[in-house]
Order: sequence, then structure tokens, then C-alpha cells
Amino acid sequence: MDFSRLMLNYPYFISIILFCLGCLCILTQHNLIKKVIGINIMETGIFLFFIAVGNIEGGVAPIYDPALPQEIIYINPLPSALMLTGIVVSFSVTAFALAIIVKLYQFYGTVYAPDIMRMR
Amino acid sequence: MEHFQKLMPFSVVIVPLLVGFTLALFARWKREVCGYLALGGVAYAFIISLVLTGRVFQGELIHYHVSNWLPPWGIELLIDELGTMMLLLLTGCSLLILLFSLKSLSKEIPEEATGWYYTLYLLTLTAMIGMVVTNDLFNLYVMVEVTGLGACGLVVAKGEKLSTEASLRYLMLATLGSGFLLFAIGFLYQVTGNLNISYVAAELVRVREQYPFLMWATMSFITVGLGVKSALFPLHIWLPDAHSSAPAPSSAALSGLVVKVYIVAMLRIYFMVFGFEVFHETYMRYLILLLASLAILGGSLFAFVQLNLKRRLAYSTVAQIGYIFLGFSLGTKWGVVAALLHIIIHAFMKCCLFLAAGAIYYQTGRKKVTHFSGLGYSMPVTMAAFTVASLSMVGIPLFGGFITKYGLAMGSLEAGNPYFIILIVISGLLNAAYYFPIVWQAYFTSGHNVKLELDKVPVVMLIPVFLMALGILYMGIFPGGTLEFLERAVNRLIIM
Repeated sequence: MDFSRLMLNYPYFISIILFCLGCLCILTQHNLIKKVIGINIMETGIFLFFIAVGNIEGGVAPIYDPALPQEIIYINPLPSALMLTGIVVSFSVTAFALAIIVKLYQFYGTVYAPDIMRMR
Repeated sequence: MEHFQKLMPFSVVIVPLLVGFTLALFARWKREVCGYLALGGVAYAFIISLVLTGRVFQGELIHYHVSNWLPPWGIELLIDELGTMMLLLLTGCSLLILLFSLKSLSKEIPEEATGWYYTLYLLTLTAMIGMVVTNDLFNLYVMVEVTGLGACGLVVAKGEKLSTEASLRYLMLATLGSGFLLFAIGFLYQVTGNLNISYVAAELVRVREQYPFLMWATMSFITVGLGVKSALFPLHIWLPDAHSSAPAPSSAALSGLVVKVYIVAMLRIYFMVFGFEVFHETYMRYLILLLASLAILGGSLFAFVQLNLKRRLAYSTVAQIGYIFLGFSLGTKWGVVAALLHIIIHAFMKCCLFLAAGAIYYQTGRKKVTHFSGLGYSMPVTMAAFTVASLSMVGIPLFGGFITKYGLAMGSLEAGNPYFIILIVISGLLNAAYYFPIVWQAYFTSGHNVKLELDKVPVVMLIPVFLMALGILYMGIFPGGTLEFLERAVNRLIIM
């Protein structure tokens, strides 16, 4: 096995790990707050992936500056811009989920999913 | 005027959104006007959709470049036959649902929340409209996410224990699904460098041979991501709770419209981005065929054992979603046409049934299917519509459901797989087994006090139910024009 390409592309690898961890967290944790944390971990993995797509080793921010040499490489700003939207979306999902959890806590007095299922 | 004509595709998205946020101003102090304003916004969108449909019918493809940024850089709206069909369906059904909600809402959700409800509804509607007209993958993701949030809001609006819990589960799974979708979009962006669907498709034809594993991964991510949201069979677990615990107008919108929009998005990505070959070669088609068959049987069997009417209808949605998936994974022309037609007809049927259930609850407060005896005489209009929708669900000729069943049967013959006809017949029988007892009870077990009187629900609640039933009959008796139009839509999907 040749691991050199894996070492070169390690951000992708980490992003996949984060994504899987987040999914696992959403699906297996019983505590509702931990599920919300899982959502955030998962989305962070995706953000990392996108930003790694846009990044170029040795590139600079895409702002034109005549002082820079001609052969300079600019990074792709689009994925970063997309991820700003992604962060806003993830933020609103988190806020909404937490609001619903507060309401559930008022109803049942717990945020532990099996207890809520038992009390239904 | 010419300027306005250019802006039309954009205004159909933006006007409901603006109206929705304006309503938030009125929601606290003048909440009685909210419903009418919302109705006005949706009526505008409906009229514009009609005009756009007329233009598309003439053979025009409507492009709109948001703030004049040309593709591949800017966001492009593209309205084709499929898009305009969904536009008409979404705005038309929403118009009727909102009309129904004017009177029924205050009985089902807390009085002070009725104003905000319309904001949520319009937000969801806007996102759904955006999803069917956009030609940009990232925009699609944002719209998917907003629809998910709005739909959860529509469920939680009731403020009860059960609906809050169902809404949280829906939110968790929907977010998981959109995470998968975003990852898949990231893969596509990485290999093609574009987000515009047409450009991605063109680029993907060139590069897809180099990345066989990536095609697998992307296809499966999209299947899981949008499959969770559109309640493909083993991923449907959130649906029965969410759809049955929501207020009646929300249930109608969720079951009739929201799940369909995701299917349309899936259809576009499969057929327009990847093309049918990839869909076929990655075996995703067979997976969806299998899951759809399971959905048709499983959904019907689960529905059979439910006693709460709305839960029964919700499980029936799972089964009917199976028909749509079956149709489009057959991959033949008739199959896909039948799937699209079923999107329309199922929207009519489910809206009709859920609104009828809402009306029954409004007048009598009954929820259990075993308590409906004599309703055929005390609520004749509602029960007549309910009966029409039930007959259509079973697939009796002259009703809309028959046409899709016929189309699916033709599609499976075209695909060289006649076993699916047996499946369709069995499912029809199962549908009969759980819809006919309700109808039978309502008309024939009334006891001695049989006095025919008109429904005691406000007339604005009867009109939508009645019109939906008329729509089902129209689709069943004169399907020709619609089928022709859908065939054009399918030609564009499969050739592109």
C-alpha cells in the first residue's frame, strides 16, 4: 500500500473521519444535546472537505495586488464562500433543534431519549 | 412590461418569501389578516405559474440569471416542463390548503401561533418552489435545508408533546440527509469544478470514466440523503409520527407536496446530472426498485394495522411514495411518466384525504377509524370526497389512481419485468382492505338515526376538499393532455 497520497491529501481523510463520527454520534447517542453536537461535528467535516477542495498549497487569497509577482497562484474562493452559507444553515438548524429540546425538557423533565420514549 | 416578463421566474420565488416575512410583522397584533395576505401571495405565485406554464407549453425553456451573473458563475433558474408542472402543483395545492386553514387552524394550534404559522408555510413553499426551479446544485442544497426546517416548523406548530417529539426526530434525520447531500455535491464540485447542473452534467460525461468509485459514492450519498427526506422505505421512520401529529393543513402539505419535491430533486440529479447509464451501471436502479417494492408492501401492511385515521394515511403515503420510486427506477418512458403523474395524483389524493380528516375532526372530534359510523349522512360532502380519494387509491377505473397503475404496469412490461404487475395488484387489494372499511362504515352502519344533513363545517373548508376530489376525477377521466405534457418532460429528462 502506498500511503504517500494519503499523507498528501490528509484534510480529506480527516473530513471523512469527522463526518462518520458525527453520523455515529447522531444515530447512537441517547442524549438529545449530544445528538445536536453530532450534527455540528458532521457539518464541520463537510466544511473541512469543501475548504480543502478550494485550497492550493502555496496559494494566496484571491485579491489582486500589483505588488505580487506575476506567477503567484490564487486559491479558489468559491468553496469558502459556499461554506459561509453552510455555516449559517448549520447554525440555524442547531438553534432550532435546541429550541425544540428546551420544549421537550419542559414537557418531560429530561433530555434522555429512552426516558422520553418510556413516558409517552 | 417586458422587464416584468423577464423577472417572472424570479418573482415566483421571491414574492411568497417577501409576503411570508411581511406576515411576521402582522403576526402579533393583526393575526386575523395573516391568512388572507398569505392567500394573496400564493395566488400571485399561482397566476405567474400559469403564465409560465403557458410559455413552456409553447416549447420555450425559461432561463433566468440571478443578478445578471451568467452561468457557470451565477445562479441560474431554469424552468422546464417538469419544473412548471411542479410549480403549478405546489402553488395550486397550497392555495387550497391555505383556504382550508383559514378556519380550521385556530382549532388545532394555539391561538397566538396562527399568525406565525403562515410565515412558516410561505417559507416552506418558497423553498420548495426554489428547489424545483433552480439549476444550481448548491442553491438546491440550501433550498433542501430550508424546506426541511420549515417543514419541521409546520409539524411543531401544534405545540403538543407528540408533535414536538416527532418534529425533533424529523429534524435530526433531515439534517443527516442534507449532510449526505452536501457531501455528494462537494464530490461533484471537486471532479467537475462547476455547480450549475447543465455544466456539471456536460463535464461529468467526460470525466466519469476516471472516477468509478467516486460515482458509486456520490450516487449512494444522494440516494441516502434525499431518500431520508423523501421517506424511501427503510428510511421512512420519521414520517408516520411527523405527518400524523401535525395539524391537518400541515399534514396535507407535508404528505402531498414536501416529500414529492425531494423526489423531483432526486430525479433531476439522477437523470440530468448523471444520466441514465450511471444510474443503471451503479446498480442504484436495482436498489431503488427493491426498496420501492418493499415500500409498497410494507407501507400498506403497516397502514392496515393503524387505527388512528391520520396515522393510517401517513403509512399509506409511505406505500404511495413506493409507486413513484418504482416508476422512475423502471427507467422506461411509461414508467417515468407514471411516476410523474403519480406525483400529481397522489398530491391531490393525500391533500383530499388529510383535509377530509381535518374536517371530520373539526366537526365531530373523532380520530379513530372505528368511530366513523353514520358520517356519510352527517358530513355528505366530505365523505363523498373521501370516497372518491379512496377509490382512486385502490385504483378503480375512472379515478386518477387507475391511470398511474396502468402506466406502471405498461412501464414494467416495457422494462421486461412483468412481476411488478403482480405487486401493483396486491398493493391495490391491500389499499382496498384499509380504505373500504372506513367508507363502508360511514355509509352503511349508521343504525336508526339516518338523517341526511349538510356538513356543519365552514364552506371554505369544504371547497378545497371538493376541488381536490374533482381534480382526481378529472385526472381519471381526461388524462390525455397531462400525459402528453409529462411525456415531453420525460423526453427532456432522459435525453439530457
